[in-house]
Amino acid sequence: MTEALIVRGLDKTFAKPAVMDLDLTVHAGELYALLGPNGAGKTTTLRMVAGLTRPDKGEIRVFGIDARTDPAAAKAVTAWAPDEAMIYDKLTPLEYLEFVAGLWNVEPKVGKARADDLLAKLGLASEARRRCEGFSRGMKQKVALAGALIHDPKLLILDEPLTGLDAAAARLVKDMLQDRVRAGGAVILTTHILEVAERMADRIGIIAGGRLLAEGTLEALRAQTRRDGRAGADGGSTLEDVFLQLTADPVAASVVDGASA
Amino acid sequence: MRLYWRNFRAGRAGKGPRGLIGLGVLAAVMIAGGVFIALGLHDWRPPINALSVTIAALGCLVVFTLMLSQTLSASSEALYERGDLDLLFSSPIGPAKVLFVRALGVAAGVTTLFLLAAVPLLGPSIVWGHPGWIGLFGVLASLALAATAAGLLLAMALFALIGPRRTRTVAQVLAALVGAAFFLASQARTILGRETSGSLVADIARQAQDGRLRPPPVASLPLRAMLGEPLPLLALLGGASLLFGLSAATLGRRFSDAAAAAQGKTGARAPRRGTASTRAFAGGVFLATLRKELLLIGRDAALLSQVMLRVLYLIPTALLLSRNAASGAGAALAGGAGVVVFLAGQVAGSLAWITLSAEEAPDLLAVSPAGTSLLRRAKLAAAMLPVALLLAPLIGVLVWFAPVVAAWTAAGALLAAWSSGLLNVWHQRPGKRSEFRRRGGSSWLATIAEIVVSALIAGATGLAVAGFAAWSLIPLVLAGVALLSLRRGEAQIARNGRTLVNS
Repeated sequence: MTEALIVRGLDKTFAKPAVMDLDLTVHAGELYALLGPNGAGKTTTLRMVAGLTRPDKGEIRVFGIDARTDPAAAKAVTAWAPDEAMIYDKLTPLEYLEFVAGLWNVEPKVGKARADDLLAKLGLASEARRRCEGFSRGMKQKVALAGALIHDPKLLILDEPLTGLDAAAARLVKDMLQDRVRAGGAVILTTHILEVAERMADRIGIIAGGRLLAEGTLEALRAQTRRDGRAGADGGSTLEDVFLQLTADPVAASVVDGASA
Repeated sequence: MRLYWRNFRAGRAGKGPRGLIGLGVLAAVMIAGGVFIALGLHDWRPPINALSVTIAALGCLVVFTLMLSQTLSASSEALYERGDLDLLFSSPIGPAKVLFVRALGVAAGVTTLFLLAAVPLLGPSIVWGHPGWIGLFGVLASLALAATAAGLLLAMALFALIGPRRTRTVAQVLAALVGAAFFLASQARTILGRETSGSLVADIARQAQDGRLRPPPVASLPLRAMLGEPLPLLALLGGASLLFGLSAATLGRRFSDAAAAAQGKTGARAPRRGTASTRAFAGGVFLATLRKELLLIGRDAALLSQVMLRVLYLIPTALLLSRNAASGAGAALAGGAGVVVFLAGQVAGSLAWITLSAEEAPDLLAVSPAGTSLLRRAKLAAAMLPVALLLAPLIGVLVWFAPVVAAWTAAGALLAAWSSGLLNVWHQRPGKRSEFRRRGGSSWLATIAEIVVSALIAGATGLAVAGFAAWSLIPLVLAGVALLSLRRGEAQIARNGRTLVNS
């Protein structure tokens, strides 16, 4: 199985340690959900993978490319979409896609075809020539997502991608992500909506205090909590139960090896 | 008022120890100037006659237009800025009170700006020999109140006449025109060719000597108030306060309705195109970034007025230069070429500050594989292209009448624009466009350096046009030294704030 993202021994300290000795792997054709309480180090981890924050230590490989020594090559196959849409209010969605396609040097014909396709799929075709300044938060998120997909990235890094989206738009985005995964792409995302991770993720990583507490399929995580004798009366059947049990006492939690599938 | 004060402090120049030192030095220089003025004017008692009354009234008119430019801009922006306005209008406070406080904040801001210049210069004279001159501060306050009332009325009238979509842009353009009104009016006579000298004061003095100058009695109010006569001062303050209070009280409801109507209608609709064109996706990183920056410059109403004011000063000078080139007036040509070069540097500097520092999506650029230097080149090109387009007709005329002057002017303008751009690369302060207005201008060091370097290159151009090409090397070398001393490495640029991380 091709490894889309390998992170080894990643460290980052701001005023206090944000990420400590983090290891994780995402395979091609896999959707990986990184979960954790507020301030756990999820966004810092993703920003380091996207090349926005310089790690103090550690290795990041994107489809075999060392992202620290050859960031441009790694970025060429990566897309980053944070919870705050990275768009320009004074540009129309179409102009925004033209700009982003230019940044990634997308072939003009391919860029045009993808823009038309993405705008249609995300329900933005009728708004393609209106400036984004009047758009709702959800619409802005959709424009940003179209921008993230215009260069057909192999690795998609998403920080809270469903924030601000209505039910229909959220469903649409989830379907698009799963389509990409089925097509051999890789997705790593953070979310506070555990139901999303439970339904969509092939594997889940749980992070707290900058450390990866557990990683694996939902079944493997359940098995770990049962094995550790931390399951509730009902056996800790939902991801929410597992998440709360693991993050309630992160120090006592088992390390990743125990849960890896 | 506390919210307004917070915004004012957030936007003040000179943050950090270096900024404070800079402000301290500036204040010391101004106070020293004020002491010299106090020494020179200690025994002088200004006469109250037709000439002094007219000059004081005209001075007030100039200050009023400058203030109106700012209050009109601030009043129209207040309609579109959501922030605390939504909170205030959703609270049980009446709209008239909200507008009154908001307008008072605008007036206080404008007064403070003028007081910052007036207090150090006139303070020593007030302390030493002319206590009555404290009335000048009262005159400034009354002018600010009247300008705020006029700015509000104009903004609301525009909103009613042309609607929310166009008001923001038109108000900013109008604000720039009002700000430059006095200069444009004084230059109009010269450009139209009726006069060779634009000195309005000399003209007024001539009329006073001939006994033809007879200002109406009410025109003496500003001068008498400035000299500390209580009744004229009270009349001005009372009149301005009344106008201010009446406009805030009567426009309160209309303002809250307009602010609600303005929500989400910021800016004209983008021109419609057919379907996505393949050509628009061509060109790679450089062209895509250039295109994006030019679109953003053209669509940002608030930034438009900042740049337009400088452009307005450039146009009459360029017209004058063309006229002098046609008539072969040598000395005037040299001076005109210098002014054009200086203003080209200033306009390019303003635009470069916008394109380089005001980036709404810095993370998007940082996660892209595009190199930082290529992105910067595209942003610099976007800042210089409008200046080139603006100067192209002038250079065209000069090529026809005086090709050598055209070559020097073009070279000087290019050099000044490029230098200003480089200074903005080295001293950029990345921030979001939405925060841009609060942040004020670029770093004070870059602003002063831009002026000095542009002036030196302008001087070199003037000397070259006047036939002293060898002498022009001196200011050019000085400009080069200034640029080299202000050069910043990549690491230093990155320390200035969020910046692009690709290399």
